[in-house]
Amino acid sequence: MPVGAEVVSGVNTVWALTIAFLIFFMQPGFALLEAGQVRAKNVGNVLMKNMTDWLFGVLVYFLLGYAVAGVVGPLTSGREIVEPFAYMSSPGGWVTWLVGAVFAMTAATIVSGAVAGRMNFSAYVVVALLMIGVIYPISEGFAWWGGLLASGGFIGDALGVAYKDFAGATVVHMLGGIAGLVGAYMVGPRRGRYDDQGNSQPIPGHSMLLAVLGTLFLAFGWYGFNIGTSSIYTGSGTFLGPQIGRVALVTTLGMGAGGVAAMLVSATWQGKPDPLWTANGLLAGLVSITGAVPHVTWWGGLIIGAIAGALVLPTYRWVVDSLGVDDVCGVFPVHGSAGAIGTILIPVFAADSSGTVILGDSWAFGGVDQLLMQVVGVLVIGTLGVLGAMVAFGIADVLFGLNVSEEEEETGLDQSEHGISVYPEFTAGGSRDSPGVSADGGVSGGVQDD
Amino acid sequence: MTDEIKMVTAIVRPDKLGDVKQALAEVGAPSLTVTNVSGRGSQPAKKGQWRGEEYVVDLHQKVKIECVVADIPADDVVEAIADAANTGEPGDGKIFVLPVDDAVQVRTGESGPEAV
Repeated sequence: MPVGAEVVSGVNTVWALTIAFLIFFMQPGFALLEAGQVRAKNVGNVLMKNMTDWLFGVLVYFLLGYAVAGVVGPLTSGREIVEPFAYMSSPGGWVTWLVGAVFAMTAATIVSGAVAGRMNFSAYVVVALLMIGVIYPISEGFAWWGGLLASGGFIGDALGVAYKDFAGATVVHMLGGIAGLVGAYMVGPRRGRYDDQGNSQPIPGHSMLLAVLGTLFLAFGWYGFNIGTSSIYTGSGTFLGPQIGRVALVTTLGMGAGGVAAMLVSATWQGKPDPLWTANGLLAGLVSITGAVPHVTWWGGLIIGAIAGALVLPTYRWVVDSLGVDDVCGVFPVHGSAGAIGTILIPVFAADSSGTVILGDSWAFGGVDQLLMQVVGVLVIGTLGVLGAMVAFGIADVLFGLNVSEEEEETGLDQSEHGISVYPEFTAGGSRDSPGVSADGGVSGGVQDD
Repeated sequence: MTDEIKMVTAIVRPDKLGDVKQALAEVGAPSLTVTNVSGRGSQPAKKGQWRGEEYVVDLHQKVKIECVVADIPADDVVEAIADAANTGEPGDGKIFVLPVDDAVQVRTGESGPEAV
């Protein structure tokens, strides 16, 4: 029996606020994950970049980004653009704005992990402003504001189906992952990341503990990201129990399968199961399933997560060894390619109540049109990520220059960019002239090829 | 009693520090200074790895114990440390004995062997 309108809006609003707080908690997750993967001399800089994403982000997303999304939607679907800044005078919509904002900041903060350890801080602020104020709003405008990829958009209309990306595997994560890859390419590798022959040399992160804890914080916040994208009631008051159940289960199975697959691949590839790859695989599983959660069978979600997790290590090696891009935190394998793969596979594993029952869940192929739409959507958002990052990093380069100097990078960005030391006992000095003794004996001369 | 002051410097495994301290106390030379150091000797290099890329850690963590003696024979101190720190594996460390010209006790201003 449907409930009344007051109950619907009350429950749905409380739910929306709850998940906004959960998704906000992904920010400390990203901060820890990225901080753990950089040297101790660059931790403060990573933290500053993450705070920049959030602090500048909420301002620019309110003052500009939300309006850009509201323009892009109609503009790419042939509808009339009505007062893009109207939201500023409607308090009833501000909870919805907050939910949009926590998604936007997730997309932006992915980029910082790729360019850690050598990028000029002022230049990064410029990139973050453009990412949150323009690039991400275009992406969500295309998919979620009735724009280009929606059923009424120019491409959606031409193909006769709407692009499926439920909670932003591509709209949020792949966009950030691809922008991060392009940014890391444009900023160039950290000094010492490649030897004279171009072979990659390890620059170990300073804390596996922080990296893995950050991953688990992210996974916790992810429940807001995925399940929160589903309302509790429809507008007409019907309880969405089955959809919420599917989203909760598929999210969890995708995460589990991604982590297990990455652990097995790392054990096979390197001889021992590796915590960082396992953590990356867990996240890749989550990313891959984020667009698919209400649309696929539970076993389909498990398969998608496993594929994404298994591919993290080989994709990272391809980025680092073949492309020569120093993607410090592996944001392309974790957010970029995983989001693309999972979202394209949605029609392959589509849940359909009139389909064939396999392992208790009804499945039917989602159709060639839908598959084509998924590929086109990934290409459109991927292209947006590439072009957007080229423009954003290009502007930042002209304004401030992308890189710190060789001496500043050697000293560490904490000292050179912020005048602080996160671990004074261990990194004091920290320069070439007065090196500290590092706890693990340091990275010595005889580095070997992998 | 001898007038000579000697410094015994021992570089040993960190997990042997407790045994060495006890041995020094038993031999009558409880005063010591300990520093965390890293260094290279006969102990084989360790391999570390990050994202599957290997690197070599050939500076191993050790503790350096400095023990200055005058009325206790340095040989006794060396023997006590060598016994306490021995495991028989490469990486047990080294002990050096150096002559010391003079010593001053800060509190009393006394110098020479009495200060030790």
